[in-house]
Amino acid sequence: MAENGYASLMDPAPERAKRGAFFFLTLFASIVFAMWDLARFLWGGTGVPSTLNMGVGIGLTVLMLISLVPVFGAQRKLNQGDDKGILSSMGALLVVAVIMICGIVYSWTSLPISSGYGGIYDITTGWFLLHFVAAILAFLATIMKGSRTPERAKRERWVSYNVLMYWGGMVVLWVVFFGIFYLA
Amino acid sequence: MATNEMQAQALNETGGGKTSFAISMLFPLFRATLWGLTGYFAAAWITAALLGSVIVNPLPATVGYIVGLVGWLMGSGLWEGWIRRAFGGAEAPAYTGVERYFRFGPDSKSTAVRYVVFNVVAFFFAGLAAMAIRVELLTPDSTGWWMSTIHYNMTFGIHGLMMLLAVAASVIVGGVGYYLVPLMLGVRNVVFPKLLGLSWWLLPPAAFAVFMSPTIGGFQTGWWGYPPLAQNSGSGIVFYVLGAATLLTASVLGAINIAGTMVYMRAKGMSLGRVPIFVWGLFAASTILIVEAPATFTGALMDLSDMILGSHFYTGPTGHPLAYMDQFWFLFHPEVYVFALPAFAIWLEILPAAAKRPLFARNWAIAGLVGVSMLGAMLGVHHYFTAVSPARMPIFMTFTETVSIPTGFIYLSAIGTLWGGRLKINAAVLLVLMAMMNFLVGGLTGIFNADVPADLQLHNTYWVVAHFHYTILGAVIFTWIAALYWWFPKVTGRKINEFWGKFHAWWFFVFFNCTFFPMFIAGIEGMNRRIAIYLPYLHGINLFISISAFLLGAGFLIPLANLVYSWRRGEKAEPNPWGSKGLEWQIKSPTPYIPFPEGTEPEVVGPNDNYAAGSKEPFVWVSTPSK
Ligand code: HEM
Ligand SMILES: [Cu+2]
Repeated sequence: MAENGYASLMDPAPERAKRGAFFFLTLFASIVFAMWDLARFLWGGTGVPSTLNMGVGIGLTVLMLISLVPVFGAQRKLNQGDDKGILSSMGALLVVAVIMICGIVYSWTSLPISSGYGGIYDITTGWFLLHFVAAILAFLATIMKGSRTPERAKRERWVSYNVLMYWGGMVVLWVVFFGIFYLA
Repeated sequence: MATNEMQAQALNETGGGKTSFAISMLFPLFRATLWGLTGYFAAAWITAALLGSVIVNPLPATVGYIVGLVGWLMGSGLWEGWIRRAFGGAEAPAYTGVERYFRFGPDSKSTAVRYVVFNVVAFFFAGLAAMAIRVELLTPDSTGWWMSTIHYNMTFGIHGLMMLLAVAASVIVGGVGYYLVPLMLGVRNVVFPKLLGLSWWLLPPAAFAVFMSPTIGGFQTGWWGYPPLAQNSGSGIVFYVLGAATLLTASVLGAINIAGTMVYMRAKGMSLGRVPIFVWGLFAASTILIVEAPATFTGALMDLSDMILGSHFYTGPTGHPLAYMDQFWFLFHPEVYVFALPAFAIWLEILPAAAKRPLFARNWAIAGLVGVSMLGAMLGVHHYFTAVSPARMPIFMTFTETVSIPTGFIYLSAIGTLWGGRLKINAAVLLVLMAMMNFLVGGLTGIFNADVPADLQLHNTYWVVAHFHYTILGAVIFTWIAALYWWFPKVTGRKINEFWGKFHAWWFFVFFNCTFFPMFIAGIEGMNRRIAIYLPYLHGINLFISISAFLLGAGFLIPLANLVYSWRRGEKAEPNPWGSKGLEWQIKSPTPYIPFPEGTEPEVVGPNDNYAAGSKEPFVWVSTPSK
């Protein structure tokens, strides 16, 4: 179906605005996570329960950090105007998101929600889980759009930038989470 | 370079579709309702069956709500209009005619009009709840023929929550703001048009759920939702929590658009100092939502988690019920500025055009708006002085009282604008002046609330009820109606009936004050809030309040009729009926689907409130540089 002229005229934001305004959304999301991080000390005390699986925590965190490699790779490709080239990175990140979800669900098995630390741990990771689901949808959308309608993906490159920005933010938030829930 | 005349010509061709209304256009609305309700009942029943429980229990109701919400959104056109395309599928046509009012879409103008409709409907039903409260309070006894005390509690809870989150939070930001922000900034649409479109579609199911909460047991907590009462007094609290979280989300999506559009998309030549004051007010409100909503949002989710997932954040031996208060008021004190700052900013937008004088001390007014929004983050504790340690009392008392300073800037700016001007008073201006009077009472009595020794007496009495009705009903709703009158020609091309506008303004002013001023007295005399049964010596004053309230409530049919009648039959308005220099008035009225044609854009060349004789136009239309 032809793209209609009205639609683009009535969505006038340039790439700079689309990427800049996305900051406000990430700011809001980050503060939500900051709330969970703060709440950990009120409900979880300062100790870490012995049932917390440190190995899984470290593994997931390392995985998140490694996932920055495809993020930066894709970003560079976007800067060079290679919109097709990012699709494999998006695929890799999608796999990472799936693994993260599995890891989170696995951690829940040893931390009952009714306990102090378990409650705040479970609700925080549950919130992460929702964000990973959103990330999976975003990666899927980018991949499908990029392969089905590459012209559109090129014209709306800001979407890909924001998806990568979103994931980059998730990495930061996860690392902070790890520091606060596992180490502190 | 192009001139304004060239613009006038080109503006005639930006209408978009000229189709007239057909019943089939309601299809998305119908489908959304069908999918929403089916989704709700199917999911709730399945969950209940799996758990061996019943659908009115918290968990099935939660699952039902979420599935129902998704069904409603998909039915509204979110799938064709956004998601399918985002996954590389076919693109829906751009709906440019009347049909865009009845489906999900990216047009901020129709979104804003839908906001008005939603707010009016929510105001009507929440207003009926208020009337029900006043019937109960006609006599000191339990008035058993009318409703039980349990139903009374549900009624004021629904009234409070809906008036705050489904009315006050979006009347000016939504209905007025989303319409005007792009026009005032000189762009065709906001930065994320679809996100803004989505924000409206979140409202109806959320409000509907709250109004329906008595069907699953209601909630007894009032609009606060304080645990542990929340967890112990009916599953309806689930709809309270989910509804409030959904409404907050809608506010945040709007806030992101306002902030993003203002920061990144101003017209050429529009420095921050030249951004219209109303947009500044909205921006200040938006920062509050983005930065402070998370605390309350997480509090709501934790409240819910205690209900459905078996956590103990606020209940049981390891729970911290007082933490909820901190989380709740961290946003909900500043939230009052989300209501009020846009209203203040409307005063400062209307008064210069009505008095034909530049806005006095413009930069101080901007500092006032932003200052209030920043101080607001530090005040929440003044809502529960009775529950905190003495050490926190003087700190939050002091912070609260400093808010008077930036608020003073705003008042001084308004008064300075009026001073020596020749004010043309129409219904909108009259309402603005009344709002300023009412807010003065509301704001000054706030200082008594903030004063700890006084507040320990006044807390939870009708004094507080009077205080916040003066600020919200007396200032925000007066201003809302003023704004609807003032920008009515912009949206419909017609004027409202001035006589009935002014008649209602006086009616509203008189019965508003008759209803709420006595509440200060009743409060001092010992009338507690949130009770169905009171001591007989308070009967007389309550009778007076109730009767005034009925007249006040009935009076709202006047502006409703005025707006509806004027929309169809009102006197035709010229494009700029108030002779305003605002950019939004330099565009054809009613605003065409495409506010200004392809290839042109406004450039700001001067202040938008210079009304001196012979001063030059603040804007010129230039052609967009070819990309
Ligand atoms: C901007 C306009 C204002 C609005 C919309 C507003 C709104 C409200 C609302 C809704 C409540 C009651 C909440 C509840 O208990 O259900 C309230 C209470 C209170 N307000 Fe305001 N207010 C405003 C201005 C002020 C000002 C200027 C002050 C102080 C200088 C103030 C101080 C207080 C205090 C201390 C309370 C708590 C009273 C108590 O519960 O004991 N307010 N306000
Ligand atoms: Cu407050």
